[in-house]
Amino acid sequence: MKRLEALRVLADLTSGHPVVVTCAATSRELAAVKDSDNHLYLLDAMGLAGSVATGLALSVPPNAPKVVCIEGDGSLLMNPNVLPTGGYLAPPNLLLVLLDNGVYGSTGALPTYSARVNLARLAEAAAWITRSTDSVEGLRAAFEELCGIDGPAFLYARIEEGNAHDVAKLLIDPVTITTRFSRWLRQEHASEVGA
Amino acid sequence: MSYAEAVADGIWAANAVRVGYIPSVTVAPVINSLVATDGGADGVSPRVTPLSREEEAIGVMGAVAFTGRLGAVVMQDNGFGNALTALTTFALSYHLPLLIFANTRGSLGEYNSMIHSISGPMPGVLRAFGLPVIELDRRSSAADWHEAVRESGVHAVMTYRPVVVLGSFWNTDGKVA
Ligand SMILES: [Mg+2]
Repeated sequence: MKRLEALRVLADLTSGHPVVVTCAATSRELAAVKDSDNHLYLLDAMGLAGSVATGLALSVPPNAPKVVCIEGDGSLLMNPNVLPTGGYLAPPNLLLVLLDNGVYGSTGALPTYSARVNLARLAEAAAWITRSTDSVEGLRAAFEELCGIDGPAFLYARIEEGNAHDVAKLLIDPVTITTRFSRWLRQEHASEVGA
Repeated sequence: MSYAEAVADGIWAANAVRVGYIPSVTVAPVINSLVATDGGADGVSPRVTPLSREEEAIGVMGAVAFTGRLGAVVMQDNGFGNALTALTTFALSYHLPLLIFANTRGSLGEYNSMIHSISGPMPGVLRAFGLPVIELDRRSSAADWHEAVRESGVHAVMTYRPVVVLGSFWNTDGKVA
């Protein structure tokens, strides 16, 4: 499965979820697949996506659709604290999808540790509920299963190395992301309260 | 009211809805007061959370702002070195209000020689990044600390930016190190 294929599935599955996306190629490719107000692209701060998603999960109504984090292996390894902190605080509505291509895909494709360190088992040891897949169908099935389980949940997806070609850079002012994402959250949660 | 209680009450008075902390012996009384006033014990309460590192604290507590509310971080000033990328490329760039209270080390009352190297220049470092820094010490009362912390939270919300309050507990009723 290519990253773009995984992101097509995830974009479709997460239309009602707050989604925190790691920087560079992953954000760029998700925006190319589907740009949406529920996407919180982190344009830098590599490694922070899981922490931001954890903070959001603690802050939104617990019964609202789960906060989804789309993270990469290199980025998670830059801030692996995400795993013990998430496991300790244990927000039930947090779902971290790790797209592991074994390399720092946005910075010259140098290898990460993931060939020798099993990141799903690391998450499991930190008290996350984990599922693993390497296919588009498996990704969809595991995502749907984990959405029905109180988390924190960790979906490990092995993807192929390589970035999509001809994808435009995200050259937006981050404050516009804040404005539209916050507005989406407000509207979403207002409708839940009203429902 | 002790200086530590003044800080804790000031954080709640600023309407912070959640506080993350990274421990230090100096801010432990602040954390204990936050936890006690929030109905918890042993460093944890419904709205007060331990975190493992300053960088993730900026991510976890900065994210509260997307829901239109205020998060706070309690830490020690030598930890800002761990947090600068997150503070600048996330909290500042995304215009997220965040109240940060940090005790200072490395000045009067300090026993550790190495900590001067990071704590001494830190107010200037933070200001160089464009972060507002409010400095408190023995020269003002606990009541003044309370008001300064509370108003710093208000200022963070008004300006859509993180605000740092640095507190030196030397020659107050608190403990430096
Ligand atoms: Mg990678």
